[in-house]
Amino acid sequence: MATVWEYLPYMFQGVVWTFGLVGGGLALGFMIGLPMAIGQVYGGKQARAPIYGYVWFFRSVPLLVLLFLFYWGIFPASGSKLDPVATSIVVLGLRSGAYQSQIFRGSIESVGEGQLTAARTLGMSKLRGIYHVVLPQALRISIPGWVNEYAIILKDSAICFALGVLEILTRTRYVVMATMEPLLPYFIAGAVFIALTYGGTELMNVIYERIKIPGLIGKM
Amino acid sequence: MSEAEIVLKAENLRKRYGEHEVLRGISFEVGRGETKIMCGPSGSGKSTALRCLNLLTTPDEGRVWLEGTDVTAPSTDINKIRQKIGFVFQEFNLFNHLNALKNVSIGLEKVRKIGKDEARKIALEQLRRVGLEEHAEKYPAELSGGQKQRVAVARALAMSPVIVFYDEPTSALDPHLIGEVLEVMKELAREKMTSLVVTHEMGFAQSVGDEMMFMVDGRIVERGTPRELISHPQYEVTKSFFERIQELYGSER
Repeated sequence: MATVWEYLPYMFQGVVWTFGLVGGGLALGFMIGLPMAIGQVYGGKQARAPIYGYVWFFRSVPLLVLLFLFYWGIFPASGSKLDPVATSIVVLGLRSGAYQSQIFRGSIESVGEGQLTAARTLGMSKLRGIYHVVLPQALRISIPGWVNEYAIILKDSAICFALGVLEILTRTRYVVMATMEPLLPYFIAGAVFIALTYGGTELMNVIYERIKIPGLIGKM
Repeated sequence: MSEAEIVLKAENLRKRYGEHEVLRGISFEVGRGETKIMCGPSGSGKSTALRCLNLLTTPDEGRVWLEGTDVTAPSTDINKIRQKIGFVFQEFNLFNHLNALKNVSIGLEKVRKIGKDEARKIALEQLRRVGLEEHAEKYPAELSGGQKQRVAVARALAMSPVIVFYDEPTSALDPHLIGEVLEVMKELAREKMTSLVVTHEMGFAQSVGDEMMFMVDGRIVERGTPRELISHPQYEVTKSFFERIQELYGSER
């Protein structure tokens, strides 16, 4: 029987898939979350109500339920067949968008009304003021919360094993079955997640140090 | 005063928030080169009046003209109008993520679409004008309150406004920092920069103010030269207001 060590390269290849899920989910979540946050802060009632409903839904339903709901339910019913990877990225992204919108909403609100007012007195439209003045501050303030979201979605991505996505956990389970040795493979899988969490957080720290501005909050 | 010399004209401005009528029909004019002072007890509607003039707050009634353009007309591009009205806030409202230089140049670059180098040149010029050229690279958090407010003045001036509004520009400052801001404002007034100043600084008002308007409960109740108004107020409210101001601030600054 093959030893666990021989399967290490196979397991580590899962990191690529995990990164795909995390990167895709975070990116999609950003594209959904930021406009929703802007809508929630600056939009009228008609904008706020559906956004609130969206956030409420995705924060209330377990990730595993969402994955099954979309993979077996919503996508087939709507006639679009997405593969497990695409489904996982979409679901992680939709859900992360709900969480990210609340991170961004908090930091946009912390920027202070006077900043946008001052931008408008220079002749900027509200949207341009948000783009040139509010967001550059809000996004920096968001970094710690956003890094936290990375750590969360990274660990949540393991649940995508339920759709058979070849990420770290799925591969680890195959190795366990092939070697009949559970302790070491799961231990390694855990260590990989620790390393990815730590590495990602450190990377964001470096980025943060580069773009930080005196007096702007958001220190990690 | 002939029609051509009027920079800003407000006619019968009214604003109500629910039951509370903040402005009850404000009318006045500001002529080119004039420094107009607006004062009165807090809650009398001074700040709301300023904000109604450039439509940061939409007035319920009344009209405003800037150099003959009807600001309140629906067809008017208010963003174009606001470029011509400098606005200096009580709380400075410098852009926290930009250094002093960028605070001054952002309007030139992003609104007036002036090239980076040219915008930088103008911004440095304006910072020099308020005595802060050496602090161009500093962020707001690294500046004192007085320096912040001077940067805010430079930011307003950089857009080459036809008039500058000051909304209690020294009220948020430590007493020892007020002087440097008032000096800049006085210098601008002497250079005949048209301005409308909401302030309780009576020394400033008397030295450069051409006319003073005293507001109570959303109305301009008295107007005249600052010296006249302060020394011979007609109404009891005006009189007691100036007495209280003098107790608080001393008579001259």
